[in-house]
Amino acid sequence: MSEPDGFEVRTVVHLIRPWGEPVSDLEDLHAAVAAAPAEVLFYHTLQVQLRDPAASELPIDDVSAWVGGVIQDFETAERISYSVQNESGSADQVRNAMLTVLDSLALSERSSRRAPAECVLQLLVAESIPVPIGLTARDGEQLVTALTSADPGIWFYHVIEQPWFGHGAFPLAEWLQAVREARLAGWVRESASPGHPLERSRERLRRRWRRSRLARRIAEAEAVPEDERRRVGREVVARLLKRATSPGNEP
Amino acid sequence: MTLVAVHNEGPSLLEGYRAIAGDAGLGALEALARRLRGHRVVMVNSTATGGGVAEILHRLVPLLNELGVPTTWEVMPGDERFYAITKTIHNALHGRPGSLTASERDHFLDVNRHAAGALALDGDLILIHDPQPVALANWRRRPGQRWVWRCHIDLSQADHAVWDFLMPHVARHDAAVFSHVSFVPELAIPAYLAPPSIDPLSEKNRELEEPEVEELLAPLALPRDTPLVTQISRFDRLKDPVGVVDAFRLVRRRERAHLVLAGGTAEDDPEGEAVLGEVRERAAGRRDVSVLLLPPDAHRTINALQRHSMVVVQKSLREGFALTISEALWKRRAVVAGAVGGIPLQVIHERTGLLVRSVEGCAFQITRLLRDAGLRRRLGHAGHTHVRGHFLHPREARDYLAIFARLAPEPAARAAEYSPAPPE
Repeated sequence: MSEPDGFEVRTVVHLIRPWGEPVSDLEDLHAAVAAAPAEVLFYHTLQVQLRDPAASELPIDDVSAWVGGVIQDFETAERISYSVQNESGSADQVRNAMLTVLDSLALSERSSRRAPAECVLQLLVAESIPVPIGLTARDGEQLVTALTSADPGIWFYHVIEQPWFGHGAFPLAEWLQAVREARLAGWVRESASPGHPLERSRERLRRRWRRSRLARRIAEAEAVPEDERRRVGREVVARLLKRATSPGNEP
Repeated sequence: MTLVAVHNEGPSLLEGYRAIAGDAGLGALEALARRLRGHRVVMVNSTATGGGVAEILHRLVPLLNELGVPTTWEVMPGDERFYAITKTIHNALHGRPGSLTASERDHFLDVNRHAAGALALDGDLILIHDPQPVALANWRRRPGQRWVWRCHIDLSQADHAVWDFLMPHVARHDAAVFSHVSFVPELAIPAYLAPPSIDPLSEKNRELEEPEVEELLAPLALPRDTPLVTQISRFDRLKDPVGVVDAFRLVRRRERAHLVLAGGTAEDDPEGEAVLGEVRERAAGRRDVSVLLLPPDAHRTINALQRHSMVVVQKSLREGFALTISEALWKRRAVVAGAVGGIPLQVIHERTGLLVRSVEGCAFQITRLLRDAGLRRRLGHAGHTHVRGHFLHPREARDYLAIFARLAPEPAARAAEYSPAPPE
């Protein structure tokens, strides 16, 4: 059986364009959500994570932000926000979740909850431009390093965006499975599940991966000659001593 | 033709941005630049000095070159009448009354036709800035080229007749770019959104030590111990400098402060002198107002003025974007600004600054800020973080390269499609 090819790592940039007519009440919103292409729902519910990747909490989606902040219908906003966070595995899930909340309001209620003229919601569509970063990962280590690097677009593209548009396919997890990194593949799939801030998910994967490598690092260290291990040990003790006796550590 | 020579002979811009804003946004920028190797970009606008567009291009062009995407910048030639016509167009697109006669339309097109023959346009990715050079594509599009029109103007209340005149020329481009969603008119070509940006490394925005600030402000003879309220922008009616003087008069009923209105005039703006006269007349006799006409290269002075100000104002009535706001926020200043155009993208009310819609509102918020140091600090800190995430040059460069990557064929296909040819 031949070895699988490497995995081409990409980052992503989103080009944003207006889509559809401006939405001025909840009935307009209902019609727009029902008709919107996946790329519109993606932009307003998922891509918000990439706008503030370091956020310690999951950023609120654009739709519930507008329903709460502009329409001042706080209950509907909370319900949309909750449903988007919990049912965001695909465009159809997001659409159905939002329509379920909006359907629970009578038509007359939806029509009467209006925005002032200067605060209508113009929906946007995101065109994804995936770009190779010049790395083809050959193993789990290289992949985790790239996924948890400074550029959050790499993580967002492979862990969140690709599976979201993939109709069940998850190229990154499938490749990891093929290179016999089943546990890492499982963690990546878990990271794609909704409800976690981007940076926290990345940090969690990084920690899990490091811990999983501990046993391997110890085994590798055992193969190092005794003299070399002693030398490294002396350096470590010297560094600890220096730190302990530095002026900043004095009581 | 005027080819603007822009070189970066100092340290690497890219490394400078990395040091200031971190790696986060640069990975995608570098990856896009690699994707576009083999392409050539040409930027075209109507002035090499004055105004936000020229300022952006002075830094964006060397940045793209450093990234390995060969980029040149050409300024289209024009005459006095042409600039008067384009000023009318500019104002009409911003919603002020104005129309073009048949003769003015003909002259506008004649100047574009002439410029089409004079400019090199020797790239395959052409980025046309604003309405002045919008008709070049009629005469100079070659097979294999991709043309993008970058509109920095708020078109949300554009005069229909003037826009109808321009629209067929816009439609000859492959895509258009706007700063804000509300500016996008109905178009047959894709319209992308990309706000403009500032350069944190430029003389206008880099860190200044306090002695340097004092040295730069000394020649301006401003009062030393009085809080400064400052508006820095071209003397243009749409920036409402007269309204700022009126708001400041209300502020002075309650608080001690000194108003500085500082700006220049752009080469392509024939109204600047007249507006400056109106401002001076309104401020006549007031010792608490300084009106400063600054030369186009007074970047360090502007930097010092912004840093020394307690409140920065941008009370525009119409606005494309107002980069002066991002500049002030980058310096952690408290900002009061008109809720128009692209300003609300930068000033999120009560989070990164304060939005106003009237002279009275402007006076109220300036007064509030003069009295509350905690509020100034909170808004200034949040504003700085907001600008770092969204309004620095690497992000704008990334957006343009992404648009080109979307439109441009892969290098192999391009070789067959595009061949430079002399202008007809």
